Amino acid sequence: MIRNLFRSELRKLTTTAMPLAFVAVLVVLAGINAVAVAFGTDADGSKTFISTADEQRSLVAFAANATMLAGLFGAIAVAREHGHGTVIHAFLAGPRRHRAVLAQFAAVGLGGALLGVLGAASTIIAVTLALPATEYGFLIPADGVAQVLAASTLCGAVGAVLGAAIGALVRNTGGAVTGAVLVLLVAPPLVVQLANETASWMPATLATVLSGVTTEVGIAGAAAALCLWAAVPAALALVLIQRRDVI
Amino acid sequence: MTEVERDGVAIEVEDLTKRYGDATVVDHLTFSVRPGRVTGFLGPNGAGKSTTMQMVLGLARPTEGQATIGGRCYADLDDPVRTVGALLEANAFHPGRSGRNHLRVLTDAAGLPASRVDEVLEMVELSAAADKRVSAYSLGMRQRLGVAGAMLGDPPVLVLDEPANGLDPQGIHTMRDLLRGCAERGQTVLLSSHLLAEMELLADDLVVIAGGRLVVSSSLADLRQTETLVRTPSPEVLAAALRDSGTEVVVEEAAGAPDTLVVRGMSTDAVGECAFQAGVLLRELSTHVGSLEERFLAWTSTSPASDRSVPA
Repeated sequence: MIRNLFRSELRKLTTTAMPLAFVAVLVVLAGINAVAVAFGTDADGSKTFISTADEQRSLVAFAANATMLAGLFGAIAVAREHGHGTVIHAFLAGPRRHRAVLAQFAAVGLGGALLGVLGAASTIIAVTLALPATEYGFLIPADGVAQVLAASTLCGAVGAVLGAAIGALVRNTGGAVTGAVLVLLVAPPLVVQLANETASWMPATLATVLSGVTTEVGIAGAAAALCLWAAVPAALALVLIQRRDVI
Repeated sequence: MTEVERDGVAIEVEDLTKRYGDATVVDHLTFSVRPGRVTGFLGPNGAGKSTTMQMVLGLARPTEGQATIGGRCYADLDDPVRTVGALLEANAFHPGRSGRNHLRVLTDAAGLPASRVDEVLEMVELSAAADKRVSAYSLGMRQRLGVAGAMLGDPPVLVLDEPANGLDPQGIHTMRDLLRGCAERGQTVLLSSHLLAEMELLADDLVVIAGGRLVVSSSLADLRQTETLVRTPSPEVLAAALRDSGTEVVVEEAAGAPDTLVVRGMSTDAVGECAFQAGVLLRELSTHVGSLEERFLAWTSTSPASDRSVPA
């Protein structure tokens, strides 16, 4: 049953133009990175920002962007299902609603992971293509590239599930997008202002840790904390959707 | 689903109630929808038809009572899409998705073969537009796509909310043939509609609700029986005498005329004899054949009464 629902959710995602719109955003972001590498400088006119492997890794680390972008992707994908009423079909096929919701979160999570890895890969490729225009070569070692790709994949998946949960809770596309922006972009700095020690556990920081750019917390702890950011709203959405009327 | 299984799948609504805060949208509703029959579900806007259908389909939780399909709640059905086909909203589509892809999403979810998509598109005469985006569909085409979605699992039960909305006369004719064919094959068809004339042509049974309460539940044939109008200064005495006559009879007060009774299930002669035996003075005794629209307006313009259900 859940496999059928998962397949159906994947078909939903692949039969509209929305994923292509997000891929287009990734291409634009990669292009901006390439232009920055080819023509940009630091404040002193140097190209210090691409002069070392660490600097280059920091530049191509896409994980934080992946969390945000995939968060929007998940929020829109799920909220519009409620807006268009197409979620009814999923609940008619899977009246034990948790199955339909889990299938939806899984499909959206997979989509977010793909967006994440594609975003990181396109950024790496764009930077690699732009570097010959400078005096520096591509300095990031293979394991570093792998870590950046893996981090972006995980962050994409987590961001998408987080966004999907917000979409399922809010059931309105505008509200879900606003919610995702609030949770991922606006709220973290405010929370850090109130409690400084939480800074290491905010999504953007965890994303840089996973990418190997910073080391505020351990990799395993960062991965677990990031997953928790999605798991809590997802669990809340699961409980609420079981209880409330669909229409 | 075999023909034998089809024969047994009825919808039973028992004491169904839905409250939102202080507002009672559906109020202790009880009725049956029988296999092999088209049952029209009628009521004015806001009567609670859609909410009732949502509760039948497990999309809204009843405050009290239950609705079962073949003896089981929708959520307990083993294979819901192969058991019940539903159309609840004419616009429950992603506008950017093609009609074919919309149906493929549904076949995937239900584990149905992709070949069913072409079959139901052919059935509702949408094959030519199957690959167009739904945003380019007219309301009638969307309705037909919704019906196609309901038919995908070839289910023994169909629950359709306003399926004829937006259809042109040809589309209504096709829909009528389709649904009549379903009933003739033993399927259970429950459909709501505001098109009373269309319902008169299509339905075998009628369930009428107003203000969330049952107004009448009967076969259309029984409702079509000629009514007798009786005007008398003693309507209560005559009504009691008629009910005590031993005949299965329905006696209602005529809308807006407290001295007039509408009697069904008894001939005009028999009503006259009953009045004579009860010593009731009659000022008028006449036959009356009303249209469904006339009756619908009479039923729904007065408060629902529990004695309006025609005895089985």
